[in-house]
Amino acid sequence: MKTVLACIDNSAAARPVVELARAFAPLLDAQVEAVHVVEDEAGSDQAFASDVSFRTLRGDVVETLAHAIDTEDVAAVVLGARGRPKGARPAGHVALELADRSDAPVLVVPPDARVPNRVHRVLVALEGTAANAKSLKRTVDLAAGADIELVVLHVDDERSIPSFSDQVQHETDSYAREFLARYVPGAPQARLELRVGLPGEEILQAAEAVDPDVVVLGRRHHADRGPGPVVREVLEHSRRPVLLVAVA
Amino acid sequence: MTLAPGPESAWEITLVGYDDEHQRVHNALFALAAGGLGTSGGPLLVRATADRWIVCAGVYDGDGPETRLLTGPVLTGLAVADADECFHRRLDLRAGVLHERIDGTRPTEMLRFVSLARPGIVAVRTAFPDAVNRGTAQLSAVADGKVDEGETEGAVWMRVTGSEGGIVAAVCETRRENVVDDFAAVVGDSHARPEPDTALTMLSDAARAGFDVLRDEHEHAWSARWEAANVVIDGDDHLQLATRFALFHLMASTADIGEAAVGARGVSGTGYRGHVFWDADTFVLPFLAATHPASARAMLEYRLRRLPTAVEAARDLRRAGARFPWESARSGRDVTPHAARDRTGRLVPIRTGQLEEHVVAQVAWAACHYVDWTGDATFADGPGLTLLVETARYWASRVRTEGDGSVHIYGVIGPDEYHEPVDDSAFTNVIARWNLRHAADAVDAAERRGVAVAAEPSERHRWRAIAEGLVDGFDPATGIYEEFAGFHALEPLIIADVAPRRPIAADLLLGADRVANAQVIKQADVLMMHHLIPDEVAPGSLAPNLRHYEPRTAHGSSLSPAVHAALLARTRDYARALHALHITSRVDLDDMTGTTAEGLHVGTMGGLWQALVYGFAGVRPRAGRLRVDPRLPPDWGALEVNVQYRGVPVVVRLTHDQLSVRAAAPVDVEIGDATLTVGRGTSDFRAAESGWELVS
Repeated sequence: MKTVLACIDNSAAARPVVELARAFAPLLDAQVEAVHVVEDEAGSDQAFASDVSFRTLRGDVVETLAHAIDTEDVAAVVLGARGRPKGARPAGHVALELADRSDAPVLVVPPDARVPNRVHRVLVALEGTAANAKSLKRTVDLAAGADIELVVLHVDDERSIPSFSDQVQHETDSYAREFLARYVPGAPQARLELRVGLPGEEILQAAEAVDPDVVVLGRRHHADRGPGPVVREVLEHSRRPVLLVAVA
Repeated sequence: MTLAPGPESAWEITLVGYDDEHQRVHNALFALAAGGLGTSGGPLLVRATADRWIVCAGVYDGDGPETRLLTGPVLTGLAVADADECFHRRLDLRAGVLHERIDGTRPTEMLRFVSLARPGIVAVRTAFPDAVNRGTAQLSAVADGKVDEGETEGAVWMRVTGSEGGIVAAVCETRRENVVDDFAAVVGDSHARPEPDTALTMLSDAARAGFDVLRDEHEHAWSARWEAANVVIDGDDHLQLATRFALFHLMASTADIGEAAVGARGVSGTGYRGHVFWDADTFVLPFLAATHPASARAMLEYRLRRLPTAVEAARDLRRAGARFPWESARSGRDVTPHAARDRTGRLVPIRTGQLEEHVVAQVAWAACHYVDWTGDATFADGPGLTLLVETARYWASRVRTEGDGSVHIYGVIGPDEYHEPVDDSAFTNVIARWNLRHAADAVDAAERRGVAVAAEPSERHRWRAIAEGLVDGFDPATGIYEEFAGFHALEPLIIADVAPRRPIAADLLLGADRVANAQVIKQADVLMMHHLIPDEVAPGSLAPNLRHYEPRTAHGSSLSPAVHAALLARTRDYARALHALHITSRVDLDDMTGTTAEGLHVGTMGGLWQALVYGFAGVRPRAGRLRVDPRLPPDWGALEVNVQYRGVPVVVRLTHDQLSVRAAAPVDVEIGDATLTVGRGTSDFRAAESGWELVS
């Protein structure tokens, strides 16, 4: 059976990581397994993972998890974001490196995230390109098939602002219907939120307004450049779990 | 998958393969229509997931802002395979026939058309290589309306009824060897449930005539329409094809009997809910007035039948005359939504319905333009005059005269919808002034012909006095009109300098508040008067206003580039004129708005024709003559336009050294400073330093 790996440590982030893994696993028809990777002989506190299978792995965190993803039937990985008392936090090198090296979706949980028992609403940020939509199709289909409210977000920036906007009272609806038909054909109940501005900022603001359980972002593999600025910004500031999906 | 010119490149668009992502766009591009009946260009021969639809102009469902085009029953059951890369579509613009083909081991062909000769008839022929067990054609409802259906000998029918009117369709087929001919008859009624018997009778007649006869008469009808409307551009094949594509859909979009409600997307889709805007009167009607006057007359009939409602609307505002609505549907009451979410996610109030009043004068302008092209005296002295009088009365009651005698129109939205509300919109005031003067002159002229008009001399005198006093923002020192009171004091932001490109929706780029406080214009506004009513603006003011306003215009409306193309051509700024012309020509073919899936921009298509005919060819009616004052870009070898002036087919052909005017009967023309009567046959003129010299 497929596994959702809940990657915990001895920090307070372990609880929401396991809880979100539990909420997420049924969507993927997977079971939850908590893993704690330790780089020395330290012990593991499994208090937050008492009702799921648990194992301790030893070695470099990224290498060990990447190896597990490569060699086991892993449907997704859930990680905690590093917490700071106030303001922004580092995006989390483990999450970013794993997302960079793996095709498995990586779900990053802020330490103060509200974690639902069940996923009710997701916000999927779509670029409005065929490749991006194709990469996120499985996520969209999963949401559509699981009775989850799907809100699609598309942000135009200076490069993609439309040439024309004739009569807003008709144009926005027409554009939205076509966007959804084109890029989210498997989810007829999906709703489109449109924004204009800097994508990172707009995704964060839309997340506040829409209040999803999970924010879904496509993430390209940049072997030498690391994560794109949008992914980094959202991971640094999001108060909600962020699911990173590899984009071709 | 490619969307490209076909083998007969100037007359065909082809699509090889099946593109699931853009299927709705392609279904709009391949839409077939005639006589007010519009059908999706979605595949019939292969199974596809795209929605297909049938609409009838003017047949709506719902009420108020929620009024939308009713979708009728669609033809189903004709598919024989799944859509894949072996699937081809080819739209023959000359014949008005859509071909579908499946290559491979079982090549199959289908062709269909919406009859231009018999309004309401659709014919489909499928040719199989060998016996195929294809099912019988069926009808399916895709709308929410009330549906009933039935069957008679050899035919089935289905009716969809909306809140008032409805659409009924009936189908039947004939089979012989490996060919199946399917026929459909569609009847739309905007005010009552159409009876199935009407469709069944039409269907029976069509089936009795047979596919070949129907196709012959259909292609003959298209041939006649092209002969009256063709535009030939020698030197730009892509523009030539795009122009024919636009003219094809313009001709297909409008019925020519009864009334014709031409929505913002014609009958090529359900976008804009089928609501009728100024696009119809201003951008679509001129093409039809010049090439197929019966359709233009039907468009005016749509407005005329809603004149009582427009009078009521004025009365509700304690004004006189007729106030036509910004958005119109079945009743003629304003159906503009009051609020909408914009692309930034904000809920914004929509005030065009309350404030964009220049549409009142556009209706009058359309009526006069129709008369200018056709010389239809019956209309001019009858319903046309009524339209002029009632719209003039509206403006006379709408203005405010200040103590210094100056006359103003406060609180409107002009074509530049980035600024609202504004006082003394130059465009609104000048076209209102034109409306008042034209009405007064028309009543005078009618009286001289003995036509009784209920507009006393004192009322006409008042109209002229108001027109004289209306401020227009013109500064003789600079030659520039101020777009509205206070425009010059706004932030002097030049959108051409700050935008990454144009056209661009500047309100989204810069924010609506910034744009509202800056000299950034959505679309041709002051310049719109130079395009529509050139005799009403100060002589010589085109060039300075073009210099001033062109860089300030974002072209955030798809209607805008065409107007600039026309005016830039007039000033011989060919590089920029052609740039704007090409943008205009590609709005739908390249889905530049992301909304072509819901229908084609027929207003933009009409603008393309105006840019070519009024701008480049310089052919337009003026003061009882056909004026010809052409501008030929260096890269073009020739430009030829076909029009009907006062019932006479006229062909104007221009090369760099010769101008030919061919008329089927004597026509008064104005070429350069000379006026003359071009006799039956061809008159040639030679380019000379002083203008055009008559050669023969």
